[in-house]
This record gives sequence, C-alpha cells and structure tokens, in this order.
Amino acid sequence: MNVLLCSINTLKRLYDISAVEVGQHFYWQIGGFLVHAQVLITSWVVIAILLVSAILVIRNLQTIPTFGQNLFEYVLEFIRDVSKTQIGEEYGPWVPFIGTLFLFIFVSNWSGALLPWKIIQLPHGELAAPTNDINTTVALALLTSVAYFYAGLSKKGLAYFSKYIQPTPILLPINILEDFTKPLSLSFRLFGNILADELVVVVLVSLVPLVVPIPVMFLGLFTSGIQALIFATLAAAYIGESIEGHH
Amino acid sequence: MKNITDSFLCLGSWPSAGSFVFNTDILATNPINLSVVLGLLVFFGKGVLRDLLDNRKQKIWRTIRNSEELQENAIEQLEKAQARLRKVETEADLFRVNGYSEIKREKLNLINSIYTTLEQLENYKNEAIDFEQQRVINQVRQRVLQQALQGALGTLNSCLNNELHLRTVSANIGMFGMMK
Repeated sequence: MNVLLCSINTLKRLYDISAVEVGQHFYWQIGGFLVHAQVLITSWVVIAILLVSAILVIRNLQTIPTFGQNLFEYVLEFIRDVSKTQIGEEYGPWVPFIGTLFLFIFVSNWSGALLPWKIIQLPHGELAAPTNDINTTVALALLTSVAYFYAGLSKKGLAYFSKYIQPTPILLPINILEDFTKPLSLSFRLFGNILADELVVVVLVSLVPLVVPIPVMFLGLFTSGIQALIFATLAAAYIGESIEGHH
Repeated sequence: MKNITDSFLCLGSWPSAGSFVFNTDILATNPINLSVVLGLLVFFGKGVLRDLLDNRKQKIWRTIRNSEELQENAIEQLEKAQARLRKVETEADLFRVNGYSEIKREKLNLINSIYTTLEQLENYKNEAIDFEQQRVINQVRQRVLQQALQGALGTLNSCLNNELHLRTVSANIGMFGMMK
C-alpha cells in the first residue's frame, strides 16, 4: 500500500515537472479589467528594445552609414519595399503603420524564441512572446481593420462601400463576411503559429532537454520571421485593396 | 526513500504564489539550447549581415561619389558656359558700339548729301524763276511797245496834216542832226 502510494506520488511529481500548461495567465487588475500581465511585461520589454536601439542608432547619424544605421536603413528600405509592392503608389503615409506592425511582431516573435524568459518565474503563468497571446494578435488585427477602413473611407468617402457590391450584388454577404474573416484569419494565423512553435519547443525540452530542440528552435525562428512578414504584407495588401480604384 | 525521491524531484524551486522568482532549474529554463541557438545565429548571421550591409554601404558610397563627380562636372561646365557668355557679351557690346557709331556716321553722310542736293535744287529753282521773270518782262515790254507804237500810229493817222507832218519831220531831222 505504502509502495503504491509512493509510486503514485512519484508519478504525480513527474507529471508536475513535465507538465506543459496552456492558458495559464498572470492576472493584473487594472480598472475593471483583468489583464494578462505577462503579455504586458514582455510587450514592454519588446518596446524598450525597439526604442532603445532606435535611439542609440539615431544619436549619431552619418551620410555614409555606420553599422547600426546601415542596418536600420536596410530594414526601413525593406519595409518601404513591402508597402510599395502591396499598397501601390500612395504607400507613403502607411509606411509607419506597416513598419510598426512588422517590427513589433518580428521582435516579439524572436524575443520569445531567443530570450530566456523562463528564468524569471511568475506566480502564475509564464513569460513568453507577446504574440503568444490571442489578445495581442487580435489587437493588431483589429488595428489593421481600422486602418484599412480609414484608408478606404478617407480616399473615396462613402463611395468606398460600393466595393461591397462590386462584381455583382449577389456577393454582398460574402464581401461583408470578408471584413470579419480578415482580422480573424490574421490574428489566428499569428497566434497559432507562435503558440505552436513555443509549445513544440517546450514539449521537446521537457522530453529531451538538450540538443534535440535546437533544430526546432531554428525552425521556430524562421517561422516567426515569416509570420511577421506575412502579417505586415497582408495588412499592407488589405490597405492597398481598399484604396485602389475600381476598374 | 520517499524523502529522497521528493528531494530529487523537487530540485527546482516551485513557488506556489507571490512574487517574481528566478527559476534556477537549468533544464527547464533551457539556457543551454538558447545560447547554442543564439551563438549559431550570430556565427552564421554575422557574415551574411556584414556582406549585406557592406554591399549597401559600398552602393551608397559609390552613389555619393558619382553624384559628387557629376556635380563637379556640372560646375565646370557651368563655369565654362559662364566664361563663354561673358566673352560673347563683350563681343556683343563691341558690335553694338560699332554699329551705333556706323549708324551715326551714315546718318550724317546722308544728311549732308541730301543737304547738298537740296541746295542744288534751290539753285535750279532760283535760276528757273529768274529766267521766267526775264521772259515775262520781255513779253510785257514788247506788248507795251507794240501798244505804244499802235497808239502813236493811230494818233498820227488821225491828226496828221501836212503842216504838222513837215514840222515833225523837220524836228526829227533836227534831232537826228543834233544826235549826229
């Protein structure tokens, strides 16, 4: 009996150690809202990384750029390229938005994959990439929705809504549905990819702690970068779609 | 036995609630894999990134140098063009001054020639007027003479008798004799 109890206890302990939990959050109460504090903390870190690096780089600008400035200019050129190919000629005002999306998501994803967040242990839940949480991705996707509505309305006025019956009025329900599926697909794609990446890494780490997770971590890095690019590209594409003239 | 397994299994610290704690479990926090990944990333990424950024820098440098050369060329050409403009302007000034003096001289010449022509014409006119006057005067003289002669003839025819005739003839003879 005693042996059985002991073995059950041992199993329970083992289970505790190798447990991988999803949906555990560290809550803060702000006003009437319960917020996921781990997401806020990691977002702040990401924002701090971006701001500090930007400030460090722009402190000493040169005509022929030095390393940091060169890198940042390259990134900016890349973002402008993406915006230009997706939005078209009037891409200028949207570069900051697309750039913010891309940089935030990219640095978030890579911070989740590269920074040893788990060294700091929260009372509940754990630190991970901000995009690991559906709230972050939904917020970004809704921002994209607002942005493309604003772009279309400010470009065409109320004539923007004529695109809902554009090929034929029969497609009206589908066109309306699209406005809901766009943010939904954006947010779930990003959330699912990042969560899956981190879960795979965590599961592998809990099974075989060394060496084996490394290829998967590289895969995660690759996927994270691709996801950031996809999110930014799709946001730009939606904006471009809503400001392009009908034919 | 149970205590031993417990202590073995509870290697990591597992706080139930409260504040932020550092997790010292080296396997669970995964720093080894992370550092390997980071190291490999830096090792391979550095070369690629450096190539990329060097290329970009070179491109920027070349572009700037090209533009500077172009600017220098343009400035040179501008200076040349300005010099030519100055030369042409001085030439144009010279031509203008020459032309003005030429025109003035021509004008004076023309005025002089016209003036002489005018004088000649005036002379001709005066001569013609004189001639006409002379002619008219002669005509008038002739007419007056003719009328006087006719008057004298009439008078003679009407009131000439022998005595008067003789007297007149003798008076005229006396007059001619005196003139002689």
